[in-house]
Amino acid sequence: MADWEEVKRLAADFQKVQLSSTTQRLSERNCIEIVSWLLEHKMIDLIFTSDGKEYLTPSQLISEIKGELYDNGGRVNLVELSKSLGVDLGHINAHINDILKGQKDIQSVLGQLIDSSYITRIAGEINEKLSQQGQINVSDLTIQYDLPADFLQQILEKNLGKLIFGKQDQNDPKVFFTESFIARSKAKIRGALAGLTRPTPVASILSHIGMSEKLFFSLFDQTSMFGSLTGRMAGAQYIPNVYARSQSEWVNNFYKQNGYLEFDALTRLGISDYKAYIKKQLANEEILLLNSCVISKNILERVDADIDECISSKSYVDLQSNLPSVFNEKDLQAILDSVLTGQKYQQTIVVDTYVISKSFIDNLSKNCDELVKEKAKRIVESGKYQQHQISLQTPQVKSQKFEDLDEKVDKREERRKKAAGGKSGGGTQGRETKTKSTKKQSKPTSKGNDDDTDILEKKTSLEVVTADDIKTVIQNTLEDEGLDDLIEPLTEYLLPRLNEQGLEIAANIYATTVADRTANRRQTHNELQNKLNALVGDVRLFEKGVKLLSNDLQPLLIKYLLKTLCTDIVTEILNYVAAEQNSSIVTDNFNNDQRLKFVNDLPAEFKGPLLPLVKSLTGQNIDDFMTAVEDGLSSCNRTIILNHKHQLLEQLNQCEDLALVLHLATLVIFTTATQCMLHASGRHVAGLLAFLKQYLAEEQYAELTSYHDFVTLMLSAGSEAENAKEKLKEKVTTIKNIANEFKKPGVEKS
Amino acid sequence: MVDEGTRKTLSNIPLLKTKAGPRDKELWVERLKEEYQSLIKYVQNNKAADNDWFRLESNKEGTKWFGKCWCIHDLLKYEFDVEFDIPVTYPTTAPEIALPELDGKTAKMYRGGKICLSDHFKPLWARNVPKFGIGHAMALGLGPWLAVEIPDLIAKGVITYKEKTG
Repeated sequence: MADWEEVKRLAADFQKVQLSSTTQRLSERNCIEIVSWLLEHKMIDLIFTSDGKEYLTPSQLISEIKGELYDNGGRVNLVELSKSLGVDLGHINAHINDILKGQKDIQSVLGQLIDSSYITRIAGEINEKLSQQGQINVSDLTIQYDLPADFLQQILEKNLGKLIFGKQDQNDPKVFFTESFIARSKAKIRGALAGLTRPTPVASILSHIGMSEKLFFSLFDQTSMFGSLTGRMAGAQYIPNVYARSQSEWVNNFYKQNGYLEFDALTRLGISDYKAYIKKQLANEEILLLNSCVISKNILERVDADIDECISSKSYVDLQSNLPSVFNEKDLQAILDSVLTGQKYQQTIVVDTYVISKSFIDNLSKNCDELVKEKAKRIVESGKYQQHQISLQTPQVKSQKFEDLDEKVDKREERRKKAAGGKSGGGTQGRETKTKSTKKQSKPTSKGNDDDTDILEKKTSLEVVTADDIKTVIQNTLEDEGLDDLIEPLTEYLLPRLNEQGLEIAANIYATTVADRTANRRQTHNELQNKLNALVGDVRLFEKGVKLLSNDLQPLLIKYLLKTLCTDIVTEILNYVAAEQNSSIVTDNFNNDQRLKFVNDLPAEFKGPLLPLVKSLTGQNIDDFMTAVEDGLSSCNRTIILNHKHQLLEQLNQCEDLALVLHLATLVIFTTATQCMLHASGRHVAGLLAFLKQYLAEEQYAELTSYHDFVTLMLSAGSEAENAKEKLKEKVTTIKNIANEFKKPGVEKS
Repeated sequence: MVDEGTRKTLSNIPLLKTKAGPRDKELWVERLKEEYQSLIKYVQNNKAADNDWFRLESNKEGTKWFGKCWCIHDLLKYEFDVEFDIPVTYPTTAPEIALPELDGKTAKMYRGGKICLSDHFKPLWARNVPKFGIGHAMALGLGPWLAVEIPDLIAKGVITYKEKTG
């Protein structure tokens, strides 16, 4: 039971322990209570630490702050202080003033305490730095020391000359430098600038000598000047005097020597605004601004003289070789524009860079004259010219076309008889002359060359001479002159002119051939007439012979007759008609169907009479054929009648004989009215007038009869003969007019 | 759950080693000895810290414990009787400390004045069987309970100050 004893003992011990008096200890709780009671009653002044577990007296705080300041080398941050002392920042701030009051060498700057030892130290540092770097900026120091610029400025200014040995910049109080630094910088700038011979941007100079822009600009004026600055800004350029001088010297020399200045060259020299520069540099020179350069008046005068000489010597001038090679095409154009004025412009032609006098060209074209003449002749002969005219005149009167083609058909023949023919043409020629005049104006289309020639563009053109022809002719001449390059453009220039010329020549040739031809035609007509008359006579005689034979034989023989002689007659007639119609068909070998077809294609005036004629060939009766022939011939005679009438009219218009006028007028009116020719003497006039009464207007008839009466009076040679003569003279024009104006009987009648 | 002060107090109470209940004859004696030693140390600590707050004694077998406990509020000392039995399954089951005076005065209490400790105390005890003893039960159970409940009860006027001579 020792254990239980032990338990008892322990229980007793426990009671003893419990009853033993509690140690009288002032617990932490009580202490706080007491202190706070004391503070409450303002019996003591204490400062709590930030964790609230410690108290400080103010004097202890102040001494601790001073200690910290000393520890930190004379500069301490208040926030740092509050952390390291474990005291609230508010308490520290509250007691700072006490410290500052007590000690004059301590300052509070931006929440920091700084004492004089620190200031002395940084002044020493700054001085060291200044002597090292040569210049120092307060703003740099601000960053380095993390102190306000004003404060540092103050320190610097206070210690300037004592601890800091340097100079304050007058322009910028924030910058301090040493004398030696200034001298060094100046020397650097001087060296850099002296070494430069060409314009250099300030920025690149600065980067080379490692200097700030501000310093450079402030020292630039103090260094001896070797050149000038374009500005005071960062992008300024330094232009050395020597460069500017040599530049202007070069420009002046070049200009004086050559009389021109290339913009390119100026740009190469570094003059970007060359126009302004030229204006300044060559202010008192007379210059002409071109596309790529300027030129002096001298050059212009030279060109002027060259062109003058070229005109007077009837030759050419190559501007490219005469002028400096720098000019481009636009420049040349501008020079030419200013030089080629008025008369000169008209006397020359500009091809590429060549100025060619008109006379030179004329010479060239003269060389071609022979060729052109020959060619013109050839085209008239080959009929191309006529075709060309027809194509030009297509929409015009049909009859004219007939004539033209008709002329073409028997042209060769006519030419053979050219010598025999006179100018005995009628009204038809008059019309042709008119067409010619219109043709003269038509010029061949220019081949798209941009010559200054004012060629009218026409849709249709006839090329009398080809470009190749001209080329071969002028080639020799030009090659002799060494103008191979110009062959092409000159050919183009000459081509339209020569063509025009060729067309004129062709027109002339054509006119002469036309005149010949008309005479010729009358002759053919006569021949035809004779031939037909003979044939018809033959046919009549043969018919008589046939009729002697028996009835069995007669049809066979008649048929044979129709097939041979009669067919010949028809063929002749048809040929003639075909010629009249300007078709080149020769009907010699036609069978009957072909003839019928041909006749059907003819205009109505021919078709009417000719159709029965052709049909009668296949008939059995010679009489039918004969009547048909008469009809056919009458239709063919129209032209002859027309010619006859024109001849009469011509005679009438030229006639001075009073009696003959009446005679001719009557015949003209008769021919016009009846479309028949009449052979009559003066005695038949009265009868004729009576016949014509039905075709004439009353007043016309009255005029004619009265005129006739006067004529008889005059011819009777009585007392009134003179009187009648006077009257007749008055009336001659009236009569002539009546005859001329008399048109168609149909118009009057209707 | 357990504040810094309590933890500190707790660490100063010596831990027990023997796992034995009142029925375990020899071993219970051993356990009882350890209980006493632990309590002595605890009380000594409290006294040294001027933090003495209870008196305890037991019957001869050490199965029934009784005494007083007090707490000071607004400089007034409130004193209560305290009693508890050592359960048969001790130390696996914690003792149920009771303040009979306060029976029916607060919701944080079981019938018979047993203070309500189940929430925090019981799991903590279970984790520390057999190292915790009566001293631990007082420090962890009754101490915090008093600290929380008594000022509350005083404020409600459920308990009033009684002049005592103890």
